[in-house]
Formats: sequence, structure tokens, C-alpha cells
Amino acid sequence: MTVSIGTEVPVERTSVALGRSLRVALLHGREEASRLAVLRVALASGAEIVARVRATEPRSFVEAAQALRDAKPDVVVIQGGTKDQGTLAELLEALRLGCGAQRPMPRVFALVDTGVAHALRPRADPFAFERFAAAPEMVEALRDLRRAANEDVVLRDVLIEDAARALATTNGTAALAVDVTERSTSLVLAHPEGRIEAAHRVPLGLGMGADHVVVRASLDNVRRWLPSPIDAPALLERVFNRPRRLVEGPPTSEPAVLLEMALAREAIAHALRDAADAALDVAAMRAAPSILVTGRVASFPRSGQSLLVLVDGLEPNAVTTVFREPDEGRAERIGMVVSVPGRRPAKIRIVRASGRSVARVAPGSFGLVEIGADVEVAVSGAGVRGHGRSGELGLLIDARGRPLSLPERDGERVPAVARWHTALHATGADGRSG
Amino acid sequence: MSWRRERWSADHSLPIGVTKRAQVGELVRAGDIIAAGATLAGALRVSGARRLGLSPTDLERELRVRVGSDVVAGTVLARVGRRFPRSVTAPIDGRLLHVTVDGDLYIAPIVDRWTVRATLDGVVSRSDDAVVEIEGEAWCLRAAAAYGPDAVGELTLGVDGPDADLAPARIDVRLSGRIIVGGARVSAEVIPRAHACGVAGLVAGAVPPAGLRVVYGDAVTASGSPGRDDRPTVLCLMGFGSGALPQAVYEPFAALAGARATIHTASARLFVFSAASLDRPEVPPPDRVRKDDAPVATAPAERPEAEAEEGDVEEEEPASGR
Repeated sequence: MTVSIGTEVPVERTSVALGRSLRVALLHGREEASRLAVLRVALASGAEIVARVRATEPRSFVEAAQALRDAKPDVVVIQGGTKDQGTLAELLEALRLGCGAQRPMPRVFALVDTGVAHALRPRADPFAFERFAAAPEMVEALRDLRRAANEDVVLRDVLIEDAARALATTNGTAALAVDVTERSTSLVLAHPEGRIEAAHRVPLGLGMGADHVVVRASLDNVRRWLPSPIDAPALLERVFNRPRRLVEGPPTSEPAVLLEMALAREAIAHALRDAADAALDVAAMRAAPSILVTGRVASFPRSGQSLLVLVDGLEPNAVTTVFREPDEGRAERIGMVVSVPGRRPAKIRIVRASGRSVARVAPGSFGLVEIGADVEVAVSGAGVRGHGRSGELGLLIDARGRPLSLPERDGERVPAVARWHTALHATGADGRSG
Repeated sequence: MSWRRERWSADHSLPIGVTKRAQVGELVRAGDIIAAGATLAGALRVSGARRLGLSPTDLERELRVRVGSDVVAGTVLARVGRRFPRSVTAPIDGRLLHVTVDGDLYIAPIVDRWTVRATLDGVVSRSDDAVVEIEGEAWCLRAAAAYGPDAVGELTLGVDGPDADLAPARIDVRLSGRIIVGGARVSAEVIPRAHACGVAGLVAGAVPPAGLRVVYGDAVTASGSPGRDDRPTVLCLMGFGSGALPQAVYEPFAALAGARATIHTASARLFVFSAASLDRPEVPPPDRVRKDDAPVATAPAERPEAEAEEGDVEEEEPASGR
């Protein structure tokens, strides 16, 4: 993979991997804050959540033990306060019953204060019990496990976070990195001061994670993004055969690209939903002035395909400059997205060095404004204000409204989706970009 | 995917509540019960060490009943003292399930019984409360995915050729207890019919995923869905949709028909126990050369030779190589 560490500096070549799959079970206290804490740790560390148990859940001891045994966790993350000590101790007993014979044994990572840790440690015997004072320490420890003691492995999610941070620092604004791979989908919001919020969702991707996208989103929700009719069983076959695809690299045929685009939209939307469930700042993600697209979505043959997947999946609601960085290529600015709210016709003033113009925007409209490649643009209008650079595609005005809703009936939906694809040159037979 | 006769190992996960299980070194035959236990409902926690005035570590010494034993209400679980005895008794009929670090006892009522059967002829190489692992020699075919519980039965050809589909009309109760080889595809109608007729398992080149969803639910994925429920067992050899079996895969089915066979769903493998020799060179399967997510219908002979050399599949190591 080739990764730039900013938009204006040369690229450097790095060996990157997703790391080994790490299965985590989350045991948390009755408070909502406790649930959010363990969920954020799991999302930030790129681990696969295989079980979630709340301390006050009306699940019997045997059921909890069986659920933990079936989950076969590598790590059990626990969080709770003093009030939860008793119920967490009981869950640790269920863990001893369920996973006492598991080899290798799961490790217990506790995000608790020292008093609670002192009380819980003996109850975790014979599992290794480690207490962490803060979530970032635990995230790092989980990532170390994913590296499997190989210091040379650079985890992909760490690199995506670095890229988001670099973009935020360079532009001096919040930046979002969106990465979709074979089996993971990441959203990383970076602030200029270096703070980040990250959701790395595994397994949710376009290859090994494609069937999980369908399970989560439903087949109809994947199918709705295709610009031509396809019957559900045929689509399901294509999705189920994706994990067994043995040829790496971006898709070559147009049907395969369109299917990946459909899957990617839902993968991004569901990663966003998980981020919202963990109380990450989804509003800031949607309003980020700079967005970097990486991974499989950035490797689509045309820039318009990457841009369309991003706006449909993420539904940005501000003025955003979009970059894409394929795994084997340099970062490029592909376009500027202006999301127009409201259900009335509006005017948008576009100001650039060569002059100013006014675009009339009808509700529901969606299309590119030819503005010249890579020029500084300022826009203002009803509920819209911001500036950025146009990129190679120009300015995308999206007045489809938020949340984006698609017509229910195929007869209306398919032409609408096909129109959006055409507007961004996302279908057709010409060259690789543009 | 190719037939190999090697020494293999197979894990058999056990539910909670094991009563007895085969011990390490024990010889077992495919289909033998290697573990049995009880399905347990909500457990009751009974004060143990505190009630007896013992430290938790001393409780084990005073237990009158082994953990994992069935008890009836009133059974003395632990007792101390002679002139002024103190005891802990079972409040309900059930199973002494677990002793906590604090020295409390969990008793769970028994609502059902379960058994786990071996899927290999061989020797038990690991045995604990969670897993019984068996090592043994067999013909083995590694598949793409498997669904349902493990299956044991006689291998029976249900089709006339490698590219034929298994018709529902060919399934009847005379095939009860057998593992049916279904050719290129088994449809959604065949799976429940076979289960209703008592067929042990179905093996096919490919299975339509829409049919799998009908039988196993919408949460089913391409990686399989092994389970313990009373559901059909389906072994999907090459992928999803329709997939004509390569001759190198199909012909051994004909040679091995009538032999004892098992489907180990957790690892998606078919084991066949036969001394027959299959003198065929290994041929790369279609899924090694497939370039896109199209259905797996094309046989390898129809593909260009150059393509057929592409790709690489990690071959599973037999147990003897560990």
C-alpha cells in the first residue's frame, strides 16, 4: 500500500496489514456510560465484537455462560462502577464456566478503578486479568494483540487514523477518513489539534465482509443502489460468492463495480450507525470540511464512483472537499460536495478567482457544476456556506435532502439511481478516471 | 478442493452441562457418542462456604457431590461438623453446575439431554469440558461452507452426473440416515424435504443462498452456520448458486458410494471411511481460478490453461503434519 502523509508531500511506501482478527466480548455495567465506554474501545481497536452482555441483562447464568462459550472470545473487555461489582463478578463466574476450558484462554481487560479491579481480579482466575486506567491504553493493548507480537506490522486502521490526522492538520479543520476494505469499514474523524474519534467495524466490507453487509443492511437495501433491476436470488449469489474470490485488486467488470458500490454505501452507512450507537460525533463526521476516501472505494475505476458512494453512504450535510487515495496510488482531490438542505428552490453563489456565478438549485437535484479542475471555490446560499477546492470533478450540488430517501417502487427508484450514476459519470465505458 | 486420504483431526464443541465424555486415548468410531450431557435452565445460586463457615478454598474438600453431578432436592452437597453439623443441601432437582470463587454453588434444573457424536474414526486426542478432539484417518474433501449439525450416514449418489441437479422427487424415506451427494446444486425445496425424510445430510457443488436463507434464516452468511439444532445438514463444496463438480471430485463420490461418511460442519469437511484407493491426479478446482463474483458454474476444463494456473489456495494441513 502507498500512503501519503498529507496532501502536499511525497508518498512513502509502507507495509500494511489488517492484523489478525481479534474477537472481543463486552461485559459492561448498568450505566449507559459503561456501555458506551466498552463499545468505543471495541470500535477504536478494530476488534470484532462477538458478544455483548450488560450486567443487569435478564439472562440466566447458564445462558450467559453458553453465549460466552459459543463466542470464543480472545479478549473479554469489562467496564463498570462500584455498583456493578456484584453483577460483573457473576458474569466473570459465567465466563469461568463458559470459557474455562477454551485454549488459548481469553484474557480479561478491565477498564475499572483500582477498587473494582481488586475485587474482580480473583474472580477472573484462571484468566489473565489486566486493568487499564484509560481507554486509549486498552485500545493500544488490543492492537498489540492484533499485531500478534510482530512489531513490523503496521495496522491499517492506525495508518488511516494518521492520514485523517495529517489531513486535519494540513487544512486546519476537522477531517474525516473513510476506508472500506475486504472485511473492514473505518470512519475516523480527526480534529486539527490531533484528537480523533474512530470506528473500525469488522467484519463489514466488500469481500469477506460482504455477506455481513447484507445480513446487517438486508438484501433489499443493497439492491436499491443498483441502477438496473436484478432479482434478489441472483444478487445474493453474487454477494455470497464474494468471500471466495481469490483474485485480489479492484473489480474489473462494470456489474462487479456497481455491486461493490452498492455494498460500500451500506457498509459506510452501518459503520456510521455503529459510531452513532457509541455516541461518537456523527454530526461532525457528516459536516467535516475535508473527507479522505481510501481502500476499495478509492480504487474504483472512476473518481465519480468513489464520490457517489461517499455522498450516498455518508450523507454529508455541509460543504466538503473530497480526496481519494487508492491503495496503490497518490491522494487526489476529486471534488467538492455542496449539500443543499430544504425543500424549496434555492440559489447558490459560487465565487472563484475567475469570477462569480449563481447556480439555481431545485429540490431533489443532483449534479456536477463544471467549474474547472482544482480551483478555490467559496459558496453561499440558503443554509449553505463554505469554501474548498473543486478537484477534478468540479462541484457536486446535492439537493436530494437529508436523510436521503429512495423511492420504494423499482419503476421510480431504478431511473433515479441511474440518473445519479450518470450525473457523476459512474457508469459507462470510458477511461479510468473522471 | 481435492480428495485426500490423510490423518485428520476434528474438534467437537460441547455445550455446557457435560456429564460424560470420551477420554484421551480412547478409540472411537464415527457416529459413536463421545459426549453426553444435560441442557440446563436458569441456575440457582446457593450459599456454600459462608454457610459452612469455611474459606472458599476449603469448600472443595467438604463437597459430598462432585461438580457436574445430578442431584435431587434435599441432597447434601457439603457438610461440616459432627456434634453441631452444618450442611448445604440442593434446593431443587438438577445439576451441581459450578462453584464460584466465593465458595457459592450453582444448581441448575435439567430440561433436556444432549449427545455429541464422533465425526472421525480414530483416537481422542483432547478431551475437556468444552471440546473433544479426535484424530483419525479418512478420505476428506474440504468444502466452502457447511450448515446445520454434524451428520453421520452412508454416502449415496443422488444424481447421475456431476452437472446434474438433485431433484426433490429423488428424495424419499428410503434415503433416511444417508448422506446424499446432490451434484451441481440442491434447491431450497430439496433441503427441508430431505430433512423431513430423515436424510442425514446433503452434499452439493453449490447451494442457492436464497434457499439457505429460507431454511436457516436471514442471518446466515457465506462462512457457514454450524449448529446443534435439529436442522438439515448441508455441505456446500464450491460456492453458491450452481456449480458442476469437477470430474476429479465427482468420480470418487461414485467410487466411495456406500461407504460410511460424516459431515463435520464446524470445519466444513466431508470424511469418508473407506479403504478404496482413488487413483486420480489432483485437479485445481474452479474456485481457484474464478476471477469475479459470478456463480461457480463453469468447469475447469472450459477455462484457459493460463488462467487455471493463477490463484493459490491454502491447503489444510493434515493432523499428522502438526
